Amino acid sequence: MLRLENISKSYNKGAIKAVDNINLDIKKGEIFGFLGPNGAGKTTTIKMIVGLLKPDSGKVTVGTVDAWQEPIEAKSMISYVPDNPEIYDRLKGIEYLNFMGDMYGIPKEEREKKLNYYLELFSIKDAVGDLIASYSHGMKQKIVLTGALLSNPDLFILDEPMVGLDPKSAFNLKEIMRKMCDEGKTVFFSTHVLEVAEKLCDRIAIINKGKIVALGTMEELKAHAEEKQSLENIFLELTE
Amino acid sequence: MMNKIISLIKTDFNITFGLSSIIYSFKNKKNRWQMIILAIAMLSLIPSYFLIINSLNGMYDIYAEVGQKSMFLLSGFLVTQIMVFIFGLLYVMSKYYFSNDLATLVPLPIKSSYIIGSKFVTLMISEYLTSLPIILPFIIIYGVKGGEGLLYWIYSLLLVITAPIIPLVLSSIVIMVFMKYTNIGAKKDLIRVIGAVIFIIAMVYFQLKIQTIAGKAMMEGDFFVNLVKDSNLLVKKLGIIFPPSQWGALALSNYFNLTGLMNLLTFIVVGIISFMIMLFLSESLFFDGLIGNIEVSASKGKSRKKIALKDMTKETKPYIALAKKEIIMLFKTPVYLLNTVGGVVMLPIILLVASMTGGDESLVQIIDMLGGNNNLITLAGIAFIAALGILNSIGATSFSREGKCLWIQRTLPIKVEDQIIGRILSSLIVQILGVGALLISLSFIIKLDILSILLIVFLGLLGSIPMTQIGMIIDILRPLLDWDNPQKAMKQNLNVLISMGLGVLYLGGLIYLVINIMNKVDVNLIYGLLTVVFGLTSIILFVLLKKLIKTQFEVME
Repeated sequence: MLRLENISKSYNKGAIKAVDNINLDIKKGEIFGFLGPNGAGKTTTIKMIVGLLKPDSGKVTVGTVDAWQEPIEAKSMISYVPDNPEIYDRLKGIEYLNFMGDMYGIPKEEREKKLNYYLELFSIKDAVGDLIASYSHGMKQKIVLTGALLSNPDLFILDEPMVGLDPKSAFNLKEIMRKMCDEGKTVFFSTHVLEVAEKLCDRIAIINKGKIVALGTMEELKAHAEEKQSLENIFLELTE
Repeated sequence: MMNKIISLIKTDFNITFGLSSIIYSFKNKKNRWQMIILAIAMLSLIPSYFLIINSLNGMYDIYAEVGQKSMFLLSGFLVTQIMVFIFGLLYVMSKYYFSNDLATLVPLPIKSSYIIGSKFVTLMISEYLTSLPIILPFIIIYGVKGGEGLLYWIYSLLLVITAPIIPLVLSSIVIMVFMKYTNIGAKKDLIRVIGAVIFIIAMVYFQLKIQTIAGKAMMEGDFFVNLVKDSNLLVKKLGIIFPPSQWGALALSNYFNLTGLMNLLTFIVVGIISFMIMLFLSESLFFDGLIGNIEVSASKGKSRKKIALKDMTKETKPYIALAKKEIIMLFKTPVYLLNTVGGVVMLPIILLVASMTGGDESLVQIIDMLGGNNNLITLAGIAFIAALGILNSIGATSFSREGKCLWIQRTLPIKVEDQIIGRILSSLIVQILGVGALLISLSFIIKLDILSILLIVFLGLLGSIPMTQIGMIIDILRPLLDWDNPQKAMKQNLNVLISMGLGVLYLGGLIYLVINIMNKVDVNLIYGLLTVVFGLTSIILFVLLKKLIKTQFEVME
């Protein structure tokens, strides 16, 4: 569903390699966790998938299309939630959601059904008539999540999705991710919270200094690291 | 107490004029280019500045001939202080109410007069940048040509330093009163924009009124007899417009006697007293206007009547949805509303007010001159609307206004065509308001036939399309995205100026062409020609924009 081939990106004319020749192949129906310390290249990689940052070299394939050759086709399969979502705060919540729905061309009935479900789930239904400027950080995040889920994306990409969510919403989001995978959708997310990755992900990649240093299921990762039982220990060892 | 004030002023100075931030932004490549371009633009103004100084020289000679040299000084003080006042309104608004340091300052245990006082001092420094280039030529020309003595220069120094105080105090008080009494309810943004519009129109009106009054005052009684008797007559008569300017002028022109000293003292003492009054007023005005200023009210759940989600979900075509979003943002962000919609609606009204007060008779005269030639008026109307298309700044800030939210459109599956059409549509909707304002204003002065109205509407709007596109081209090439106050995207955006320059070139060329062929060909041919030119440039610019947006959206970082 998502394939990265020899993706590289550097800043300052090659002086700093943010992402160094990364290869990933993420299958349909998989929840994929992307781990790494601050500044390892997680967000840079994600930005190259969603079209915010052009790779210096390499190829990003979403489904069967090259994301940088046919961006509209690729983007209509993707929904993206950034780590610190800045959204149009002069719009009302519902205006923003309708805007997202229009951009993905979602028919009214389906839109209504989805909105009802997710707004109820994140308990922000009463707030959709208010200006986004009046929302708290968490509410903003929930509105962005709702907008992203509206299109029922084949590939759901989230950058640090758990930060700022209350426990109940974080739990709900995990449930949503699980359910999406059961329906054959693909979820790709970065996180600092190792427990989330450990419990939720089918496979995990650890990135450090722009390079993938570990890739596999939780069991595979554990098998490679002798004596180190928790993901935390593996993480600490690999990213030293 | 003194320590607090000094520390406040020092911090504010660092934020506003901080060397470290200047050096930092010079190290950044993009900023460096911007600064270089800005410097070149400033340098290119120098020749015209010298032209102005040259004509000031001539003005001095004329006043000297009729024995009213002091009038020359009065002009200097008047222009300077009025400019300081007008710029002051803008500076005060952003510095007192919308600057980033307020979130830090307000919770601190300091009186509001301290905050206002320290901000005032920094503003004074900024205002010197406005006042010095204006007042210095007047004072230097007067001093050098008249061979004035040492005391003149000492007086000048004192006056130049204190000149911005009174006008800046006035603009501070006006803004503080305005902010206090408009800080009400959920609609305060709208109230403020309407208030500002009315204020601007009223200012224009009073300015024109004063001109007529002053003009009449001069012609009263034995004017010419008195003119010979009293060499300060003109200053005394015209100085009533703004007494402090009169004191300044009289202090300098009479520096050798007691009148001069008295006027100098009045100028300075009134300045200091007015500053104290402002500080005193700020205690009761400032916080009332500030607190809750930025807060946005949210209806808390149950009290609000519930609208079913069903009625709130609407399906629209992507380009319409984009245009709708743009319009909502333009109308709900005060800075945008005032600069885009406000400008488009205000300009025709100001033209109307100007021609009705009779102060500036140009418009009535022009229309008289056209002698009811409807075609000429129609053509002028079309040009006016097309010009509004670039003056509304919607195109030139189209992408800059997205700011940090641009990621949304870059990651959504939006066709470039929809992007362009949606954004142009939003500009056209605002333009329709401008067309309305123009037609209503014109209807007070002349009678237009239906055909002219239709032509102004159709060709004016069609002509606005390439104007908006020119702005969009500039803005997509160098969008200003890193801002946290929408004021930046609008007011500190060079793209607005650049595209205005290009728009004026394009429109000026067309106007030149039309004037040249007007008497040689049938007027209908001109309308046809305009339709073709506007249509063709729209299409060409559309194709260009498509390419530019596609590549820029990819390579942006």
